[in-house]
Amino acid sequence: MFSAFARAFKTPDLRRKLLFTLLIMAFFRLGSFVPTPGVSYEAVKKCVNMVESSQDSNNLYQLVNLFSGGALLNISVFALGIMPYITASIIVQLLTVVIPRFETLKQEGQSGTAKLTQYTRYLTIGLAVLQSTTLVSVARSGNLFGNCPEKIVPNQGWTTIVIMVITMTAGTGLIMWLGELITERGIGNGMSLLIFTSIASGFPSSMWSIARQSEHGTETFIAVMVIGLAIVAAVIFVEQSQRRVPVQYAKRMIGRRMYGGTSTYIPIKVNMAGVIPVIFASSLLYLPSLLAQFQRGKQSAWAEWIDRYLTKGDHPIYMIIYFALIVFFTYFYVAITFNPDEVAENMKKYGGFIPGIRAGRPTADYLSYVLSRITLPGSLYLGIVSMIPLIAFVLINANQNFPFGGTSILIVVGVGLETVKQIEAQLQQRHYEGFLR
Amino acid sequence: MAAQQTARDSRSGTRLRARIQRFLGRPGTADLTAYRRQLPRIAAREPQLRRLTDDGLTRAAAAAVDVVEICALGREAARRGLGERPFDVQLLGTLAMLDGRVAEMATGEGKTLSGALTAAGYALRGRSVQVWSVNDYLARRDAEWMRPVYDLLGVSVGSVGQASTAAERRAAYAAQVTYAPVSEAGFDVLRDRLRTDVSDLVTVAPDVVVVDEADSVLVDEAMVPLVLAGAASGADPDRETAELVRRMSLGVHYEVDEEGRTVQLTETGARTAEEALGGIDLYTAEHAETLSRINVALHAHALLARDVDYLVADGRIHLINESRGRVARLQRWPDGLHAAVEAKEGLAGSESGEILDSITVQALVGRYATVCGMTGTAVAVAEELRDFYRLEVAVVPPHRPCVREDEPDRLHVTAQAKEDAILAQVAATHATGRPVLIGTHDVAESERLAARLTRNGLGLQVLNAKNDAAEAAIVAEAGRLGAITVSTQMAGRGTDIRLGGTGGDPGPVAALGGLYVVGTARHPSSRLDQQLRGRAGRQGDPGGSVVFTSVEDVVAQHAPELAWVPADGPDGRITDPVAMRAMDHAQRIAEGVRREIHSNTWRYHTMLGDQRRIVLEHRDRVLRTDDALRDLEVSCADRVEELRSVCERDVLVRVARLIVLWHLDREWSDHLARVADLREGIHLRGLGRGMDPITEFHREIIALFDPLFDRVAERSEETFRAVPVTADGADLEGAGLTRPTATWTYLVQDNLFGNDIERALRGIGRFVRRAVRGDDPTDGD
Repeated sequence: MFSAFARAFKTPDLRRKLLFTLLIMAFFRLGSFVPTPGVSYEAVKKCVNMVESSQDSNNLYQLVNLFSGGALLNISVFALGIMPYITASIIVQLLTVVIPRFETLKQEGQSGTAKLTQYTRYLTIGLAVLQSTTLVSVARSGNLFGNCPEKIVPNQGWTTIVIMVITMTAGTGLIMWLGELITERGIGNGMSLLIFTSIASGFPSSMWSIARQSEHGTETFIAVMVIGLAIVAAVIFVEQSQRRVPVQYAKRMIGRRMYGGTSTYIPIKVNMAGVIPVIFASSLLYLPSLLAQFQRGKQSAWAEWIDRYLTKGDHPIYMIIYFALIVFFTYFYVAITFNPDEVAENMKKYGGFIPGIRAGRPTADYLSYVLSRITLPGSLYLGIVSMIPLIAFVLINANQNFPFGGTSILIVVGVGLETVKQIEAQLQQRHYEGFLR
Repeated sequence: MAAQQTARDSRSGTRLRARIQRFLGRPGTADLTAYRRQLPRIAAREPQLRRLTDDGLTRAAAAAVDVVEICALGREAARRGLGERPFDVQLLGTLAMLDGRVAEMATGEGKTLSGALTAAGYALRGRSVQVWSVNDYLARRDAEWMRPVYDLLGVSVGSVGQASTAAERRAAYAAQVTYAPVSEAGFDVLRDRLRTDVSDLVTVAPDVVVVDEADSVLVDEAMVPLVLAGAASGADPDRETAELVRRMSLGVHYEVDEEGRTVQLTETGARTAEEALGGIDLYTAEHAETLSRINVALHAHALLARDVDYLVADGRIHLINESRGRVARLQRWPDGLHAAVEAKEGLAGSESGEILDSITVQALVGRYATVCGMTGTAVAVAEELRDFYRLEVAVVPPHRPCVREDEPDRLHVTAQAKEDAILAQVAATHATGRPVLIGTHDVAESERLAARLTRNGLGLQVLNAKNDAAEAAIVAEAGRLGAITVSTQMAGRGTDIRLGGTGGDPGPVAALGGLYVVGTARHPSSRLDQQLRGRAGRQGDPGGSVVFTSVEDVVAQHAPELAWVPADGPDGRITDPVAMRAMDHAQRIAEGVRREIHSNTWRYHTMLGDQRRIVLEHRDRVLRTDDALRDLEVSCADRVEELRSVCERDVLVRVARLIVLWHLDREWSDHLARVADLREGIHLRGLGRGMDPITEFHREIIALFDPLFDRVAERSEETFRAVPVTADGADLEGAGLTRPTATWTYLVQDNLFGNDIERALRGIGRFVRRAVRGDDPTDGD
């Protein structure tokens, strides 16, 4: 990996791309600290400290704040982060299945995709207006930090509110542009890299807060670092693991055909689903506690039950449900993305077969068999990785965006691997540059 | 009058839009202002140049370097040589091309002359120029037509055709300007890489290329890799398998997909074959070759029909070119299919082939230091030209504004209703005496329409591209009073249709409204429709065009929603504006699909192109120097020492060279076969999350290529040690180092699953459809 970076830095063209990407990432971080006009920075700081020391915070909220690199709670100009853009693109993607017009646009290729991108941008701005209004009104009413008594928005006039909404919306627009700039002129996928930046930016402070703990702070810190590195190595290892199902094509007769090279195979990854099941599971687990919040103040048995078992991650019932949901969603996602029938049909159509397995139905059955077998360890792996922050929370009282676990580690490692792959791909394309005049 | 007004309005509108687009830095269109500025200076040189003698003109040309001087001289040479003084707009085209751009010039604006002046301009600056045409006829015609201009400018010119001999080719390429059809230019490059002696080489170092019909050559043809294939050993046609397959029947033993592109054994078919072959299991690595043989034989049996796809004459198989409907010389099917067809027909086997080398039009163009081109429709492909070739388009305005009236499409429910409407329209137009040109899409359609028109008592000319030269002559006469011409697609690109016919009086025809062009369906690209419409309304002539479409058209497959639109009346016409727009949309999808295929071909060929260039550079060095022997002197000093007593050093140099070249060519061919093998299943890699087939492909082919040169050295050494050498050289044929010759081309097909997000969405879509609508889940994919 480091050799790839070193080689990339030696290629002028790639060096420029890498530096450009880093510059944009730095600019993105800078914006996360610039407070939105109308916000009392002092008050926010006090409240943030209060919230971080308390442990009453729910999962999704943490997740959103994590994705914005802490900018959300800072109410900075980039408070909304990249989330509106991601949400918008997911919505537009989903709409291509539902709305015929979108489906046809998608089929048109380049020009249609350009139009869809345009729609995504409009939707992003729409979502940004919606979310910033929500955020501003929550901040104004003083509910953002629960019990924090400070006045975050001292001036309650409507001009201030409008300016705040406009600023945050513009901030989101800017982030969207930054992301697209990276995708276009830098290296890697802009959206993923900005999320990566946000999450990674939380690491030092989390680690610092562990080290700062009163007793055994330093020892815990060292232990966490050692275990953390082991976890990262393990995650990288599993993410790269795959089972290769060999495939042979019998469609052509070549005079002197070469045998022995089973370079053709179907790669079936241990983690075929990526981070998505974890995000699904935590979003779904957030719903009950959201419902329970509406019942606050009223006497309600189920709301109380939810409050006790499903709000905090330290309860075994929460953990078990979380784990089970992740396993379920892993199977669900794999079932949706990998259709053995389709693959078998395609192989048969073009003369491909798995040696020893008959074409058609037996091939599809075989693929489902391999897939379901490999998804079991895959789903357990995802569940265990997601448990790490919860366990750390119980053991060492780390706050919930504990860096070496859950979504954080999966996203950071995933984006990291993806970006390195892209750099390697770019290096490949220039593989013969030195050899050619 | 009103039409002219509209034309002017839309023109200024286009200019404004073009300016905005340039400002936004989008679809690469170049600004003409700089070129316009040169025009007065060119005009100022004219009076002086007119006073020169012909010899004086040639002498002045030899000294010219400045573009202004070149254009002024070119204009004067054209006036004297052809009796045609180039218009300002033609010189604008030349200036744009001399600047390395693609000039968009409407039909009839004199592209050929613009191109010739460009070629001459580059030649006068000491460059070596090739002009690429789409076919043999145009290459020859343009070279001969423009020869007087070249002669006056003192520039030598030659042309190459399919039938040219090696000596003729060598002479043509040696000229300062060479006209060649693009396929021949490519094949000559490929064939040259089989030569083992410098004096056998035909082509010269690539320098400047002027591409005529640039959109067709650089975009449409770019999808087809030119393949050089051949083999020394003739494999016997596999009669047994052919016999086995002959007893199978459709639906029971094998099935064919809807597009009729692939055929596959059913379970019953596989069992039958296994029993017939003695109870083997076909789906094991060990019997993969047998399975391949059956698949290929099945393809020959089920998908290729005698007299449709091929003819049998003189005991040989002759392919029929699908789009042109005539025998394609020098073409064969790839990968053993040819032999399977021979077995099916019970013919003796001809030589079977393996790929020796292949090159895409893209890679071919990439060899030239300067590329420029011209066409009637470039803006529509501006993006592709920029992305794939870094070429910008310069839109040259017509000399006189175009006043052709393009009527909106006439959409019909069925192909039958459409054809009836076409017949009625043609009859009505013909009744006034106005000439009609009908552009059909394939040979069968052209003949069917012609037969129906004839039955209605209408006299007509049919063109289905049996002969390029005759075709051009007929097309040129399509503007005669009362003429009806039915042609296949692209007929007459490069030929003008003058109103009133060649030398006829254009007046009466113009009074009737000029040539009327009828399209029988949308092409898969709006650009091709534009080309067809462009047959009418040349140089400000009046003219009209209309395209008849139907829901059953090929392009309409991309707009399945059209199937539910009802007809307005009994004539089957649809005028619903939404449906009309759906047709535009369908065409855009078709364009997208083509672009996708193009960029895929490109992405999968770039790195192979790099490797090819490395091999070629090495090969060239071996061919021109004594490097081969020098290397062997190091690795097998003893053998060299031993052979010194047997023969002279130059004999030894030649022996070493031949051995190394043979192994280099052999290894390259093997490399291509391995890459083709890899390419076939690479899309399966996309199934692994985060794995990109193209990246995987690159990684693998780099690994495959790395040991190539070491292997060549090793094998050459082995051969060098073993082969018997006499004073006259070595008997390489005897040692099994035989060289093949034969060439043909074919298309690379491509299929991808899409990325995992797309697959997820498709999965959800299937799920939703099943749950909500109760559809069959296998539908609609």
